[in-house]
Amino acid sequence: MSEFFSKIGELFSTPEYIDSLLHGFWLTIQISYFAILIGVVLGTIIALIDTAKPSKWLIVPKFICRIYTTVIRGTPMALQLFIMFFVIFAIKGFPSIITAILAFGLNSAAYTAEVVRGGILSVDKGQTEAGLALGLSRMTIFMRIVAPQAIKNIIPALGNEIITVIKETAIVSMVGMYDLNMAAKDIGSGQNMASYIVPMFVAALFYLAIIYVITFIVKQIEKSLRKSDLRAEK
Amino acid sequence: MNGDTDLKIKNLRKYFGSNKVLNGINFELREGERVVVLGPSGSGKSTFLRCINWMEEPTAGEIILDGTPITEKNVRAMRQRIGMVFQHFNLINNLTVMDNLLLAPVKLKLMKRDAAKKRAQELLRHIGLLDKANAFPASLSGGQKQRVAIIRAMMLSPEVLLFDEPTSALDPESIGDVLSLIRELAGRGMTFIIVTHEMSFAKEIATRIVFIDKGKIIEEGTPREFFEHPKTPRVREFLKKVL
Repeated sequence: MSEFFSKIGELFSTPEYIDSLLHGFWLTIQISYFAILIGVVLGTIIALIDTAKPSKWLIVPKFICRIYTTVIRGTPMALQLFIMFFVIFAIKGFPSIITAILAFGLNSAAYTAEVVRGGILSVDKGQTEAGLALGLSRMTIFMRIVAPQAIKNIIPALGNEIITVIKETAIVSMVGMYDLNMAAKDIGSGQNMASYIVPMFVAALFYLAIIYVITFIVKQIEKSLRKSDLRAEK
Repeated sequence: MNGDTDLKIKNLRKYFGSNKVLNGINFELREGERVVVLGPSGSGKSTFLRCINWMEEPTAGEIILDGTPITEKNVRAMRQRIGMVFQHFNLINNLTVMDNLLLAPVKLKLMKRDAAKKRAQELLRHIGLLDKANAFPASLSGGQKQRVAIIRAMMLSPEVLLFDEPTSALDPESIGDVLSLIRELAGRGMTFIIVTHEMSFAKEIATRIVFIDKGKIIEEGTPREFFEHPKTPRVREFLKKVL
């Protein structure tokens, strides 16, 4: 046990180790951030197409969205990452960070689409009908009535998805990228440290810290969105 | 109200897949008329009402308001002239009572915000809910919600008002409040169609009763004719059960 603590002390007092961890952490943050951005934007677009009133212009887009979410959600993330790296972007010199961002972003989009779709569908049909009966446009009804109510249902599940993406990016170490997970393994296998448990414990703390912060932010947003809800007063 | 309000419904049909809910309804409504639609459950009363402002797009037939048929293109403008009150109130949950009243007239540029606000305040004061202007719908009782929903429809000064079972989701005490508001609109000459199960209210308020069964109007007449001298056996049977 005392060895464990002395190794932790060693890790934090060795600049190269700290450098490696921060370097890896930064890559994890970058991939996660941009992947989530792509996921939210693309996922929302897919959900909007999916929940839009059926019309002949949307038959093909709706079909494509269905296929997309089915395939992405039906195959392993690690396999999708491999396909991106070794098939689609198997181009010499192509920046691996972009490949990773796209792999995770396109994956997350499928899940986010389901989250957003569920949120939109959970808004009572009567709310839309009220808007229609008043002669409002579909756009106004969506922006002023449906979207604000849907967001309340979307935020908690979206927070969950963001956390999932951050943790899942750890698999980029499988294609040799130096993220937080890889940094922990790298430090642990070095001759000086010669212990996996310590760097991996520290890496876990890094993951926990960022996820704790995100959970906190999501809770705050949830709270402020519940203003028009009686549940907040109880 | 512009003097010659006249709603014509020609051969209205509505099918949901193979389920034929409305089978050719012909109907006319003149200004100042108050029509109560009666009929057994599942007869198509609500669907009939919901087709009038195209909440349900008719499978066939025409809805003509003051000579203009409702089409895909003009449906929004027409809905502004045909108000609707729902069974479940459908106040917009994320907006305060005041914003529920202001949204349509301001967004549709029918009124300036200040003028709309003034009118909303007058109407709220009138129904005794001015102190709820900044409350969210979730904090209102059913009866309060429905009265707000009625004045929300009135904000657009509709030519015709459609009530879809406005008291069916209310407790007995609230029913009275909502009915007296409708009664008051009637007193002011408002033209409306109401689907309800409140027989005594129907008798009192209606200028005409329409009875729908299996998607067709099978009898219509003044309340007196309808309740005291029903012509068809179907209506006689219905009245025996409900009165």
